[in-house]
Amino acid sequence: MNYTELMHEPIKPILPKPSQYGIDPSLVKARVSEMPGMVSLYLRELFPDLPPVLLPGGPDAIKNVRKAAEEALMKVDMSMIKPEHSVNVLASHHGFTLFGGEPYAELLKAIRDVVEKRTGCRDIRLRAGVGMRFRETEEYIKRYGLDTYYNGKAIGVAPIDEGIPIETEIGTLYGIKKVYDADWIIHAHHTDVREVHFHRQVDKAVKPFGMSYARCETRSTYHQNLGPRAANFTARAIFESKFVQSKFAFAAFLNCGPHGVIGADCDNDLYALNDRATFVGCQLYGKIMTLFGEIDKCIAVLDFPCPVPYVFSAGVIYANFTGANTDLYDMESPLPPYTWYTEAFYRRNGQPLLEETPPMNPAIRMCVHNYAWTGYPSEFFSKNIPTVVVGEEQGKLFDTDSMNIGYMDYAVTARSTEQAMQFAYNVTGTDKVIIFDGAMGGMNVSESLAKLLIEKAPEVSERVDNVLLPKWLKQRGVDISILNRNK
Amino acid sequence: MKRVTLLAEVQQDVCRGCKVCEKVCPVYAISVTDRKAKVKEDACRGCTNCESRCPFHAIKMVKREKPFTIGVDASQYDSGKIRELCEKAHLNPEQVICYCVGVRAEEVAAAIMAGAKTPDEISSVTGIRTGCTIECIQPLLRLIQAAGIELKRDENGWQWYGVTPTAWTLPEDVVQKYNKRGFYFEEDKQLLDRVVHTNPKGEEKK
Repeated sequence: MNYTELMHEPIKPILPKPSQYGIDPSLVKARVSEMPGMVSLYLRELFPDLPPVLLPGGPDAIKNVRKAAEEALMKVDMSMIKPEHSVNVLASHHGFTLFGGEPYAELLKAIRDVVEKRTGCRDIRLRAGVGMRFRETEEYIKRYGLDTYYNGKAIGVAPIDEGIPIETEIGTLYGIKKVYDADWIIHAHHTDVREVHFHRQVDKAVKPFGMSYARCETRSTYHQNLGPRAANFTARAIFESKFVQSKFAFAAFLNCGPHGVIGADCDNDLYALNDRATFVGCQLYGKIMTLFGEIDKCIAVLDFPCPVPYVFSAGVIYANFTGANTDLYDMESPLPPYTWYTEAFYRRNGQPLLEETPPMNPAIRMCVHNYAWTGYPSEFFSKNIPTVVVGEEQGKLFDTDSMNIGYMDYAVTARSTEQAMQFAYNVTGTDKVIIFDGAMGGMNVSESLAKLLIEKAPEVSERVDNVLLPKWLKQRGVDISILNRNK
Repeated sequence: MKRVTLLAEVQQDVCRGCKVCEKVCPVYAISVTDRKAKVKEDACRGCTNCESRCPFHAIKMVKREKPFTIGVDASQYDSGKIRELCEKAHLNPEQVICYCVGVRAEEVAAAIMAGAKTPDEISSVTGIRTGCTIECIQPLLRLIQAAGIELKRDENGWQWYGVTPTAWTLPEDVVQKYNKRGFYFEEDKQLLDRVVHTNPKGEEKK
């Protein structure tokens, strides 16, 4: 095999961004992809059956995303929206971290424009939900000019804002009042696989109704009350409620694969869109996730403007890589190596309550935290994976985060990126490096890891197509024949 | 246990007295009088909710001159009674229920046994709900309810609204209707029950 043909110059990573949740971008002195021995692998060369992308692309990439969004929006029924009505476009914070955030912002702009053009309605607002960083979408709204675009009617909403009870099939749950204070709602989301360790690719397209658009009681139900695999029903219960159904107009999704934006998908039937998203999540992301499971040992690098678990490599977040020692899509295994349910079930002595609890991915010999944000409880990561944080500033930032008071209790600090990497090489004895830096279209890794991934990719691709994908879809009650119709 | 290192500080010239801060503070450490917010320094647990939701950015978090630690030592209370209360709430005493601060069910049970009766009182002494402030409300309410204490919501605040469904309250028809779609209701309930009834030696009570 000619490995060098498949190894390219490192892809430019996502740039550090100013945010109250991260250090000043000027303090990020070096990126690990710039270190000696790093290369990039293009995902469409590893997995040639991945569909073509709109973005990353040439200078017209964003225009093409816009065009795809408009075309999809023209096909959906908007007749329920009258000129005198009000409409809330509902967005989630994670969309703004995909491929630099611009494509999702473009989708939100397209929705506003097309709805106004097709319905004559002018009272169109943006309600952008968050997780735990309550100012996060406020930052994105300003960064992408959405406040101006929505005529000053764009706001971030948080799970501690005023609530509204919603009666569901399983009892009362609680939404955020400002999400539902319009005649109609439009669910604007994406097919990025994100927290497959939590949602297990079950009802992923519905999840924001139990997360981004919901009060803390509902989020707590998801993460504490129902169990790791039943939890996803929380979102479906809210979505199926008479109250939400009476306001739901349609869903508009940015279709993403691990390699980029592949299109837009709009539908009045969220479950139909949900089934299509399941294919994207299982088939396209499933291959790269399974390939990550083939890594025997490595140094994992965090180098992306997002909290620790949400940094990206090849469209996969670090939290999922910490579970790559197991098949996260296989519903038969109840506890992934990392979810809050798993984290909850560790004793005072650091041992799991249940013996069969899988450990965090033992292939990760060390984590080099070159650049990542606060705003997500991350102590479990540094407690279970040896962690080196670059620069005192990041350590200090974590020490002032109410969710991460303990993160630095288990991490050490290095003065520079170079020294952190050298320390990691010396201690782990491996030169295999995977960088979670949001490189678009491919992934930045060391040459030694690139070689391993190139060797394993064909077999992984075949195994997913022939063995794993049919199993995953069957477990989710999704008709596999739809796959052939989609071809 | 939580080390409280931060304190909310109101910029009086920016504050407009809108009261959002007092509606979102989990420990009622901030309130508005005469159209200005004021912080009870001893009561603030440094969660940042007021700072994060103030529409006018009138509040900033500052480092405390004298940080302090809060927490309830569960080993000082009857372990049998702690287990009984936790199991009634379908929780294992050692189970973590606050991921930010690391508060375990047994600590909340001990706080209740020490006399804390409301979510804000329990948060104040244990630190639960003073990290992300959103994920741990349900097990906290479950424990209070299991102790036989009546839950009474503050109609003027947004601190919490009410208890929500659990694995043990799901209607059977819902379980039957949706369990083919990847929702492993029964299996997860069994898993949670195993966790609840695992004792300190690792033995599972059937």
